[in-house]
Amino acid sequence: MTSGRARPPLTAWAFLAPYAVAVGLLIVLPALLNLGYAFTDHTGLTRDPQFVGLANVRRMLSDGFLLDSVQASAIHLALAVPLRLLAAVGLGLLLAAPRPGGRWFRVAVYLPTVVPDVALAVIFLWVLNPLYGPLNQLLGLFGHPGFTWLSDPGTARVAVALMLVFPIGEGFLVVLAARRLLDGRLYEAAALEGCGPFGQLRRLTLPMLAPVLLLLAVRDTILTLQVNFVPAYVLTDGRPANATLYLPVYIFDQAFEFSSFAYGALITSVLMVVTAVVITALLLVVRRWRVLR
Amino acid sequence: MGNRGAIRLESLTRSYGRVVALDDVDLEVRAGEMITLVGPSGSGKSTILRLIAGLDRPDQGRIVVDGQDVVRVPPHRRAVAMVFQDYALYPHLTVLGNLLFGLRVRRVRRAEAERRARAAADRLGIADLLDRYPDQTSGGQRQRIALARALLREPTVYLLDEPLASLDAPLRFATRADLLALHRELGTTTIHVTHDQAEAMTLGDRVAVLDRGRVRQIGPPQQVYDEPADTFVAGFLGSPPMNLVPGGGVLGGAAGLILGVRPEDLALDTDGPIEATVEAAEALGSETILLTRCPDGTRLTVRTGPRPGVRPGEGVRLRPDPGRLHRFDAETGRRR
Ligand SMILES: Nc1ncnc2c1ncn2[C@@H]1O[C@H](COP(=O)(O)OP(=O)(O)O)[C@@H](O)[C@H]1O
Ligand SMILES: [Mg+2]
Repeated sequence: MTSGRARPPLTAWAFLAPYAVAVGLLIVLPALLNLGYAFTDHTGLTRDPQFVGLANVRRMLSDGFLLDSVQASAIHLALAVPLRLLAAVGLGLLLAAPRPGGRWFRVAVYLPTVVPDVALAVIFLWVLNPLYGPLNQLLGLFGHPGFTWLSDPGTARVAVALMLVFPIGEGFLVVLAARRLLDGRLYEAAALEGCGPFGQLRRLTLPMLAPVLLLLAVRDTILTLQVNFVPAYVLTDGRPANATLYLPVYIFDQAFEFSSFAYGALITSVLMVVTAVVITALLLVVRRWRVLR
Repeated sequence: MGNRGAIRLESLTRSYGRVVALDDVDLEVRAGEMITLVGPSGSGKSTILRLIAGLDRPDQGRIVVDGQDVVRVPPHRRAVAMVFQDYALYPHLTVLGNLLFGLRVRRVRRAEAERRARAAADRLGIADLLDRYPDQTSGGQRQRIALARALLREPTVYLLDEPLASLDAPLRFATRADLLALHRELGTTTIHVTHDQAEAMTLGDRVAVLDRGRVRQIGPPQQVYDEPADTFVAGFLGSPPMNLVPGGGVLGGAAGLILGVRPEDLALDTDGPIEATVEAAEALGSETILLTRCPDGTRLTVRTGPRPGVRPGEGVRLRPDPGRLHRFDAETGRRR
C-alpha cells in the first residue's frame, strides 16, 4: 500500500508527458529565457545579445515612467477587479433563478465577452466620444455637461475600467452555475427561521459561494494585471499623462516599439512579482476573514 | 402546553401544472397530538407540510391554526418548525452555527443564544459534535442536529418530513422510540410524514393514509389496520399486505364484493375449507410467510409461526378467521 502511494506508476507519468512537454516548451523555457534576457542588451532586432550585468536593473531603479506604470496598474486593479466581480456576481445571482425572459438577459450579459478586444475598444471610442458619444448624451439628460473622458487622467482611468466591466461572461457563468447547485431547501429552512432575502444573501449564498468568489477574484486579478491590456492599448495607448500606462502596455512599448527587448524582459519579471504579491495578500486577507472552512 | 397548535385543513387543493398534488384534503389535528401522514411516494405528504409551513400556497382551501386562517401569513410568523427530508443542514456552518442560525436571525443575544443552543444539543445527545461540520457527522447525528434546530424554534407545531427515512434499520428502530419520548415530553403538536407502513403503525396517536393527493382514511393506527376503509388502505398498511379476492372466490362467493383477509388471519388447519399449494416459504426467523396458490389460481399469503413444517410444492389446507373477513365494494373499493 505505502509503496503504491509513494511512487505513482509509470503510466501516470506517461499520461502526464504531453502536458509536461507543452508546459516546459511554451512556459517554463520562455520564462527562463526571459529572465536571462533581462541581463543582456538584447534589442529584439540583433542576433547576439551581450551580457551587461545589472545595467537594466540600474535603469529600472531610475525610471520615472515605470513608477507611473506601476501606479497606473495599481489604481486600475483597485478599480476594475471589484467592479467586474460586483457585476459578475450581481448579475449571476440575479439571473440564476428561472424567470420569464431570463434566457435573453443571460445572453445579453454574456454577449460582450464574445466581442473581440479591439472591436470592444473601438465601440468604446465612440461611446466615450465627448461630442457625440452616447455616454455624455446620457449625462446630458441629467443636466451634466459630460466629461472629456480620454483626455483627463482621472476619467481615462475610470473609462478603461468601465469598458472592462462588460466582458465578464465567464465569471458570470461560473457564479450562475454555482448558485444553481445550492440546495433550495436550505433557503426554505432559512425562510422558516425568519431570514429574509438579504439575510439569505449574507448568511447563505455568499458564504457558500466563497470558494468560487475567491477563485474568481484571483483569476480576475491576474487577468486585469496581465491580459486585459489590449482594449486599453487601443483605447488610450497609455495616455493621458501615463494614467493608463499599465505594466503590460509599458512592457509592450519597451520590448517591441522602443527596441529595448531586454528591459521589457526585466519589467515582465517585475510584473510577475507584483502579481504574486497581490494574490498572496488576497489569500492572507481571506484566511483572516475565515470565509473558507 | 397542549392547548395550542390545533390545525384544521379545509378542502385544501394544490396542483403543479397538470399534476394534482393535493385534491380537496380535509384534516383536523388536535392540539398536542402526534399524527402520522402515510402514503406512497408522490401522494402529496410533503406538499401538505409545505403548505402548513407556508413555503407554498394552496390553490384553494384554508389552513386554520388555533382558529386563525394562516394562508396569507409568511412562514416565519407561523410558529412552525420543520425537519426536512434530508435535514437541510447549512453545510458551511458548524453544528453550533447551524443551531445558532435561527436565534441570531431573531437577534437573540450571542451569549443567550449559545446557552440555548448548548441546552438543545445536550437534550439530543449531540453536545460533543458542536464544532464539527455537517459532513463530518453520521446520518443519525444529522437527524438529531436537525431536530435540535427545530427545538430551538420553540414552535407550536413540528413538521417532520420522513425524519427516519435515511437511517439504517436498527438506528431507525431506536430513533423511533426517541421521537415518541420527545413528543411525550414536549406535548407539542407534531405532524410526522412517512412512506413506511411500520412507522405509521408505531408513531403517532392517529394515522392519515394518503393516496394521489386524497386522504383515504384517518384514525388510530390499530383501528385503521383492523378496519381499512377501502382496498387501497387494506393493501397499503400491513406487510405482507392483505389478501384481496375479487368476487370472494375461495373465501366464499360474494357477488359485487371484494373479500379480504390478512395473512395472519389465515391458519394452517388440516380440516380447513381452503385447499392450496405452497409455492414458496419465507422463513423470517420469528415467523414464516407462506405464498400459496389455490386450484382456481387465487394466490393467498399466510403468516405462520416459525418452522411450520411445510415445504414448497406441498398441499396445505387453510382456515380463515370468519370474524376477520373484510368486505369491500367491487365498484368503489369502499368498505361495506
Ligand atoms: N414544486 C413542484 N413542482 C412540480 N411538481 C411538484 C412540486 N412539488 C411536488 N410536486 C408533485 O406533487 C406530487 C406530490 O409531491 P409530494 O408532496 O412531494 O409527495 P410525497 O412527499 O408524498 O412523496 C408529486 O407528483 C410531485 O411530483
Ligand atoms: Mg416527500
